[in-house]
Amino acid sequence: MNVLDLFNQSMGCHLVEQTANVVDNAQRALSSGHTMLKGGNPQRISSGWAIVQPQRTTMQFKLAAKGIIYSEITRYEAFQELLHNWNGTPSILIVFDKKPVPVTNLFITYDVRCVRVCSPKGVETFDYTQEPQRDGCMTHKVLFKQRGKYV
Amino acid sequence: MEKIKVTATMKSPFIKVGYMTLDALLAALKFDELQNVEQAHQSIPIKQTKGLFHASAAFFEPIDKGKEVFIAALHPEHTIDPHLILKNKKGQIHRKFDNSFTNVLNTYPKITASHITWYAEGDADEIKKLLYPVHFIGKRRASGFGEVEEWNIEANELDGILGNFGEPLRPIPIDLYNGDKSYPVTDAAWRPAYWNILNRTACYAPSE
Repeated sequence: MNVLDLFNQSMGCHLVEQTANVVDNAQRALSSGHTMLKGGNPQRISSGWAIVQPQRTTMQFKLAAKGIIYSEITRYEAFQELLHNWNGTPSILIVFDKKPVPVTNLFITYDVRCVRVCSPKGVETFDYTQEPQRDGCMTHKVLFKQRGKYV
Repeated sequence: MEKIKVTATMKSPFIKVGYMTLDALLAALKFDELQNVEQAHQSIPIKQTKGLFHASAAFFEPIDKGKEVFIAALHPEHTIDPHLILKNKKGQIHRKFDNSFTNVLNTYPKITASHITWYAEGDADEIKKLLYPVHFIGKRRASGFGEVEEWNIEANELDGILGNFGEPLRPIPIDLYNGDKSYPVTDAAWRPAYWNILNRTACYAPSE
């Protein structure tokens, strides 16, 4: 499975028209404006998070698009819930910001020992089962601190 | 085709992004020579199995790991044909900057190691011809990073795909993998061009 196929089939198809160019489809979904649930001008997804899985996408930024599940929990709560109850479903974990997420930063997480969190700034890779190292990434450190609540 | 171990003795720290497999290094050298991506990939002197090159990722014992920050002063004027630049909704070219220089910060992971090692199965003489004239590898070569003091190629028993304990020596798609399946599966490019997102799939791979 390629990351662009998963992204376009589960999330991109609800946001933009699909063409034969899979890279362009994903790029348009991530960088163009989309109609918001609250109305107004179309806006780019510029905050929140998304978890993209086969046939199921959950995200925080409330769009008018149907076929997507919208959630109000924080990114760390969402990622914690997914990773703590990991069932092996390939997932793309995305953190949105003002700058669009480049398609080259999209990676699928297949295993909790190699979690990839994709954002405009880059990709955080960590082993969820291990304690973060001093120079480890922010998401790993926050999730590790929060884990006490879930055990 | 012989099974070989390639060692680069390093003179300066290097900047590595991704797995830095030996076939990626050779593909880049071939591209410099041929100026054609397809021809460059086809002429890599390494054995292939169903498109998978028998060439390992770069292995090293880091003495130090750090970050190197570069500030690039960019001039705001477009130097390429305006027709090639993406237009905004009004059909005009995006002009983000004013007419002063703009500083852009780029951060790279820097590794200090005395040696970098690769394992591969290929044409040793052809690989020697390609590698021996190379004095710098990795990113930011023009800034002095990745200077190679000496190349060494010797016979070895590893094929560049699996290690002595069945561990992956490079990204290997799960359907081509015959090694120890207790290793985590990760999303990685498994053939050149490694920057191309379309070449990514579920792979067993060594830790980056």
